Amino acid sequence: MDLQGIDAIVTLQSSVDQLSSSKNEQVQKAEQNALDWWSLAAIAPAIIILLGFLFLFSYGVFQSLTDLKLGRPVVRFIGFTNYEVAIKTQDFWNSVRATMAYACSAVLAEAFFGLALAKLFASGVFLARLMRPVILLPLVLPPMSVALMWTTMMDPQIGILNYLLSLVGIGRFAWISDASTAMFSLLLIDIWTYTPFFALIIFAGLQGINDEVREAARVNGARGWATFLHIELPLIAPYILIAAVFRLIESLNQFDIIFGTTQGGPGDSTSVLSVRAYITAFQNLAFGRGAALMVVNWMIVLLGTFAMVRLWRLVRQRVS
Amino acid sequence: MTRTLAALGGHSAHFVKTALICSTLLAGAATSFDQAEAQEINWRQFEGSSIVWAYDIHPYADAVAAQLPEFENLTGIKVTPELYPDDAYWNKLTIQLSTKSASWDVVGTGIQPAWDLAPGQLLEPLDRYLNNPKLTSASYDYKDFFPALRDALTWQVNGGQIEAGGGQVWAIPHGFENIQLFYRKDILDKHGIKVPTTPPEMSAACEKLKSADPAITPLGVRGVRFWSSIHTAAISIAKSYGVHDFVVKDGKLETGLDSPESVAFHQDYVEMIKKCAAQSFANDNWYQVVDGINSGRTAMAIDSNMFGFWNDVAGKPASGKIAFAPPLRAPNGKNFESNIWIWSLAMNAASQKKGAAWLFIQWATSKQVELKGAVAGKLVNSPRASTWSDKVWLDYATKPEFTNFVDTFKIVQDRAALAFTPRAGFAEAMNAWAVAMQKMVNGADVKATLTDLASEIRSSM
Repeated sequence: MDLQGIDAIVTLQSSVDQLSSSKNEQVQKAEQNALDWWSLAAIAPAIIILLGFLFLFSYGVFQSLTDLKLGRPVVRFIGFTNYEVAIKTQDFWNSVRATMAYACSAVLAEAFFGLALAKLFASGVFLARLMRPVILLPLVLPPMSVALMWTTMMDPQIGILNYLLSLVGIGRFAWISDASTAMFSLLLIDIWTYTPFFALIIFAGLQGINDEVREAARVNGARGWATFLHIELPLIAPYILIAAVFRLIESLNQFDIIFGTTQGGPGDSTSVLSVRAYITAFQNLAFGRGAALMVVNWMIVLLGTFAMVRLWRLVRQRVS
Repeated sequence: MTRTLAALGGHSAHFVKTALICSTLLAGAATSFDQAEAQEINWRQFEGSSIVWAYDIHPYADAVAAQLPEFENLTGIKVTPELYPDDAYWNKLTIQLSTKSASWDVVGTGIQPAWDLAPGQLLEPLDRYLNNPKLTSASYDYKDFFPALRDALTWQVNGGQIEAGGGQVWAIPHGFENIQLFYRKDILDKHGIKVPTTPPEMSAACEKLKSADPAITPLGVRGVRFWSSIHTAAISIAKSYGVHDFVVKDGKLETGLDSPESVAFHQDYVEMIKKCAAQSFANDNWYQVVDGINSGRTAMAIDSNMFGFWNDVAGKPASGKIAFAPPLRAPNGKNFESNIWIWSLAMNAASQKKGAAWLFIQWATSKQVELKGAVAGKLVNSPRASTWSDKVWLDYATKPEFTNFVDTFKIVQDRAALAFTPRAGFAEAMNAWAVAMQKMVNGADVKATLTDLASEIRSSM
């Protein structure tokens, strides 16, 4: 037996195999590369749009580091001066407080009323069925129209709300015209507008609960309130929280309703960060300082959203 | 039968009178047009162009818009008016111009906003159009505009700041306003109240009115947190107390809003607002002021004089019931003061159709358009001296229903002047003043609020 010859054949075969496998790999790699290019081409528009957004955002951040003002011949890079100047003023902290108070109160109240409405819808009583489509009306109105409508209704002299109050013997209420009641009035408008959003999502959550779960609870002796508290509420908690995330982002950025009614007044009582930033940039024409306020607002939104999403995950894990 | 004949006679007399006015107007317009023709500018040199004219929703805009077909027939240029509510307009104007958008060619502005817009080269200086005989008819007669108005719209930009007293023309006036007190004669007469002349007198009158009829708002004034609230009643009365928005101290510009005069003014003014103004003061703009006086819900108002005129027009519910007086003055002051606001037409520096835009500005501010607008009861305060000496306008404006409009205009106009210091940064400082005013009316300490306001203004100078 010519073992050497066999070895040679095996070696040759192995070399051929290696060669062919390396060729296959190359072909595969080449195919993969070709595939990557196609994928890249497919997602290119998305990447370009994303880069466009990032560029605009980065440009806004850059503006906040300059003394850009309408009519200023030379724009200088001034680092964090706009931020330093802002945080040293009482008005800035008033705005931060107003922003947080507005957003947190609105979200909490809307979650509460939304839950109540959703339960009512789920009950299937005639009134609830009748109200279901009507209750969504505020959501489809443009926020600026909502603001103008409520401004007229809340006019202390000619507004219908004071007329209605007068029918039950309550005297004139200043609504948005008094610093002590303006924030409450704005919250009322926000709650009227966005509670249906919560109701809609929580109602979907309630519909998703399997009847067998309720039946099991009933068999175990749980009655109405206990079933809601220990069975339904934990199951719909993720739905409430996801609605809260969306509404928190919007409320922290709320502009239309506030600007359309009080423009941040009376005084600075409702001057949330988004309104202050707009006035600083577009009425006072100090774009650099306005951009700095917007960046601060963005950071608050980001932190608030992270916290809410984290909470949502925890609750979801627990429910699972 | 007799009654029918008398009625017919009345109609005939009215018809003859109307026909006479119309024919005089037509003759006047034809003469002006002939003059324009004689000056040989080619009105059709930009035929086929299309421009956009942006303006506030305002009767002054209505007056020009009503005559637009004449301009389009004369020039072959199509004009699209874009009219916006007051607050929205000013914000939109800033955005449109600062982004160098060419979508608006001609814009309506006042002098004060123009101070902020000109340094950024957002407005086109108009001298080279005014002085170009191919573009401007000699019959345009720029010197016919009141000198105070021409001067107010002429300045130069130096190092990003405004230097008044010569320079370039930035806008052309087409209507102006002086600040007056106007009141419902019927209401004051009914309650036996004399027309107040000072803030303390006004406060006393308001208390009397409120106790007589709690449903009436004694005084309508603007209170929104925007400079427009300051430029009417507040600055006019403040000036008579010796308040200056800015003063020169040691050769340096300094705010005068924390001066002892300013504290004295604000104490009286805030007290007056608390006693007199509507609960909705913080949300009240000129719409509410006009609506109040027109409906009779408000007894008095301090604002632009033509708001009274427009509601005195025959056929309006308040026709003939509104009378005029000079604005309030300081209790120890010798004279009242009245701020002026000049509605002007300016050109967007980014416009791609500047020639056509200039022809429109020139036409809209011409003698014939001004006169026709005035006699239509819209362009009430014409900036042209020729309108004020025109018999047709004076006959119209002295009709009984306008009570003492012309006489009071003449008295006030003698003292009316721009009450603000020309400077870029006007909006920021005056917006801050409007916010401070709301705070004081809501109970904040006057002196402390003014100190904070002054330091805020200083920090942005």
